[in-house]
Amino acid sequence: MTDTGPQGSFLVRHDFLIRRLHSLSGLVPVGAYMVVHLLVNSSILASTTIFQDNVDRIHSVGPVALQVIEWVFIFIPILFHAVFGVVIIAGGVPNTGEYRYGSNIRYTLQRATGIIAFFFIAWHLWHMHHYFAPLGGGNFQHQHASSSAAIALSSLPVKIGYAVGVLACCFHLANGLWTMGITWGVWTSPRAQKHATTVCAVFGIGLACLGLSAMSGFGDVDIKAAEEMERLRIQEKKYIEGKEERPTNSRRGVDRDSGG
Amino acid sequence: MLFDYFGGQCPPYAMSDQHPEIDSFEVRVLRQDAPGERSRWERHRVTYERDMNVISALQKIAAQAETVDGQPVAPVCWDSNCLEEVCGACTMLINGRTRQACTALIDRLMEDCPGEIELRPMSKFPVIRDLVVDRTRLFRALTKVKAWVPVDGYLDRGQGPLRSMEEQQQSYPLSECMSCGCCLEACPQYTKIESTQDESESDEDFSARKSATYDSAFVGAHAISQAVLFNTNPIGKFIAGERLDALTGPGGIQMCGNAQNCVAVCPKEIPLTTSIARAGRSTTLHVLKKWFDR
Repeated sequence: MTDTGPQGSFLVRHDFLIRRLHSLSGLVPVGAYMVVHLLVNSSILASTTIFQDNVDRIHSVGPVALQVIEWVFIFIPILFHAVFGVVIIAGGVPNTGEYRYGSNIRYTLQRATGIIAFFFIAWHLWHMHHYFAPLGGGNFQHQHASSSAAIALSSLPVKIGYAVGVLACCFHLANGLWTMGITWGVWTSPRAQKHATTVCAVFGIGLACLGLSAMSGFGDVDIKAAEEMERLRIQEKKYIEGKEERPTNSRRGVDRDSGG
Repeated sequence: MLFDYFGGQCPPYAMSDQHPEIDSFEVRVLRQDAPGERSRWERHRVTYERDMNVISALQKIAAQAETVDGQPVAPVCWDSNCLEEVCGACTMLINGRTRQACTALIDRLMEDCPGEIELRPMSKFPVIRDLVVDRTRLFRALTKVKAWVPVDGYLDRGQGPLRSMEEQQQSYPLSECMSCGCCLEACPQYTKIESTQDESESDEDFSARKSATYDSAFVGAHAISQAVLFNTNPIGKFIAGERLDALTGPGGIQMCGNAQNCVAVCPKEIPLTTSIARAGRSTTLHVLKKWFDR
């Protein structure tokens, strides 16, 4: 602890505001984005076509607008939440050894899962985002959503890494929601806090199921068939845009129209 | 009524009349001669008597002034005052648990850990000597949040406003706080601050620097709860804004990490986390209001 003047530094003077923003950013946009992300991913369970439809819908805003959305609503909020989260972690001394209460264990887990999420998201971004394709990462290709994701997630170490990361993120969001309700004074009485614990636990378990089932969905993708479907869609799209001849049946392999 | 208060259970000290069949027990005390010096463990053997508490064991240890090895030592120092768990002065770590020495009965402690007791000073406050700690920061936090009803003046203002039963029942438990510091001891967000006086520094300068350091660090659950208590008092709420300013300043309520150890260890079972949630709501509204009012 260093001595500060009567006013202190900018960070000290605006600590309340920054921490409230940290709390808020965890839910909106970061938490909300995570829920949407897992929902979109789990649509792979329906079919590779539906997953590709969802990905296309996201990319329909165009590459420039998508990057603006990514930076404003995802990257910058996550970066703020992560960096200030490290400051928060540094300010406390977990004492789960001495005080083995449920909420105290969750306090320590919230910090541990925060650190796991920090490294997982950094790795996930390198692993999937096209920014890192020149560096050997960036495996996800939005026009080949199902096949590229299935290939990227095919090895066992990657699967384990994603399972750990997704579970850490789910706990962090669900428990963060619970602490947020106290921070903002939504659930105040012990009874209300107990009910909130149940609600948040159900939310967290549901979210974890969603994330893990999405992963199993990518594991079950028939990569060959998915690649064929994606190739056809790309051709079809180019045809609609008038850039290419209508794909002939012989090139199409499986005819989507006649196949129903 | 009393049993209702303890959640339908008997208070721990009324639980049983059992006495252990022992002649003596050992007390391990973590001793320290002066602020900033190294601490050391010392073992003392105390002759058992019925219905002792940790304070009476400490009285015997101080009177003996001799370790189990027969080494003569300076009497052990501790703080105590009321001996009925309402002043909080004798708070220490007994078998690792933060609690008052006066209500820590030897018979009950022997049930948990036969023949041995471990005593340590609180770990979040600077040690003055042995089990005596400097809890200035705790009281400084109460000053910071103005934990009082501002009624100074010469005028007779007449009777205070009537308060509803519901409000009284909400406030009464908060008024039971005895400023013992258990909530702070158990809090992972409340970290120890120990300042040392520079040789060139006067006592006044040192004291002012210490206060400034305390003010920028976490106020703690007790002060947040007292701010809520006095902000619900009909006259206390005249300066509600000043209290909320203190709670949103550096070291304010935002530093709470929701570990909820405070409410679990509070010897008075004060609903501290309810106070924290209520203060969380009112501080947010206060800050928003201030923004739009400027």
